[in-house]
Amino acid sequence: MVVIESAGLTDIGRKREGNEDAFYVDDDLKLYLVADGMGGHLAGEVASGLVVETIRDYIRAVNEGEDAEQLEDSDETLSKPANQLLSGIHLANRGVHEVASSNESYSGMGSTISAIYFTDDTLIAANVGDSPIYLSHNGNIEILSITHNVITEQMAANPEAAKLIGKEYRELLTRGMGIKETVKPDICEIQFFSGDIIVISSDGLSNKVSSEEIFEVVDEEKPEKACQTLVNMANERGGEDNITVIVLKIKAAKDKSGFMGMISRIMLPFKKIFN
Amino acid sequence: MPIFKLQFKDNVLGEFSIEPGKSLTIGRKESNDIPIENLAVSGHHAKIDSVGDGYLLTDLKSKNGSFVNNELVASHWLKEGDIVTIGKHTLVFSYAEGEDRPAEDAPGMEQTMVMDTNKYRDMLDQAMKATGTGETRVLSETQVKEQIGVLSFLAGAEGELELTKKLTKIGKDASSDIVVSGLMMAKTAITISKRPQGYSLSYLGKGTKPKVNGQTVKESVMLNDFDEIEIGTIKMQFVLKN
Repeated sequence: MVVIESAGLTDIGRKREGNEDAFYVDDDLKLYLVADGMGGHLAGEVASGLVVETIRDYIRAVNEGEDAEQLEDSDETLSKPANQLLSGIHLANRGVHEVASSNESYSGMGSTISAIYFTDDTLIAANVGDSPIYLSHNGNIEILSITHNVITEQMAANPEAAKLIGKEYRELLTRGMGIKETVKPDICEIQFFSGDIIVISSDGLSNKVSSEEIFEVVDEEKPEKACQTLVNMANERGGEDNITVIVLKIKAAKDKSGFMGMISRIMLPFKKIFN
Repeated sequence: MPIFKLQFKDNVLGEFSIEPGKSLTIGRKESNDIPIENLAVSGHHAKIDSVGDGYLLTDLKSKNGSFVNNELVASHWLKEGDIVTIGKHTLVFSYAEGEDRPAEDAPGMEQTMVMDTNKYRDMLDQAMKATGTGETRVLSETQVKEQIGVLSFLAGAEGELELTKKLTKIGKDASSDIVVSGLMMAKTAITISKRPQGYSLSYLGKGTKPKVNGQTVKESVMLNDFDEIEIGTIKMQFVLKN
């Protein structure tokens, strides 16, 4: 069984009047979510809150048992838990879209979503929008999410033309939760190892603090303290946006079973005495 | 605070109130705030959240769906007098007398942060005209060119396997994508994942270890074009195809 040391923190920042970010940390479900809402007034908050709550409730329902209906759009190239996470995201997208299109004051609202969901031996990363998911393995930092904004997509397609895209367009999202009736999340499922560290954040952090800086902090500090340090750094550098961060440290990737597991279980009380 | 009157046919079975800032869950299981004992109702059927100054009903992907005023909904902002149907039961939503209700039309949005597809196309057209190169396009998932990894067998098996799955499993287990036999072979010995940076091969830590280009893999490595992978009796080459 995987043991995860986790913490999450959200902060309004220095300039905004409300916090449109939402996050969720659950070591029992092994589900971790960051959503960055958009849309004026309360709408951004509503969108991100709805996204996080819907995915949480769906995954919880699936885990509890018998009513685990899969959405019709399940993908055969994915494992069952990965499909469940996708179903939760699709459900949340539909929910936000419906609210946005049925109530004028919420029209046009949307959100990003970045999710990490653990199975017994893999981790699943899924995202829509530009909230990054970082993985550090043996000191190498990798981004597990795909950034769905204009500049990233066009750089991949036609770098020459992408350089001419105006500043005002660069960071705009090309995919978002609740914007259309359907959404296409990006997803990957990988093996994890003891010592791996994952950071999920909103762009309020990633626009201010580089991934190298993030892991310098996270490598040194416990997740809870690291979250606070990172939020402080983003605020000290302006804090124009809401800041949200989740830090996950993977402690034990494998079950200790068999003979060596038995030995270590027997030795455990002695270790406690001697330490 | 608003109340829900739970009815079955003409019988009122109970009243449930919802406080601002709180949520109510509806379902067959007893742990729900509004439990409904009926086989047409899913264990976790729907929920109601207090959001902003309104109340929002969300169907939790229930088997038989949630209806408001006889229309199937995924989610719905509740208004005075709405009749929510869950299975064969109904919940009537009403505010208390003199209670504040959300304004019918609140002011519009300040700004939209997601690109409207048409605007996006126009903007790209202008960027392209300026360079005089290439054609413009709004990327959709079908247009994004993706390289697919392929494993072609060199020894121990014949043919090739396209790595279309996000996670490909290799091991002794019969459900593996590539089944490899051997005394020390684990049920799942290695996996190959498709991740944003490309394909990676991971060893799961049990039994026979794999080799990539002759090097034993203890955890995981990124795969490059023409890498040779060896596991037990099987040898294969990793190739990227457009």
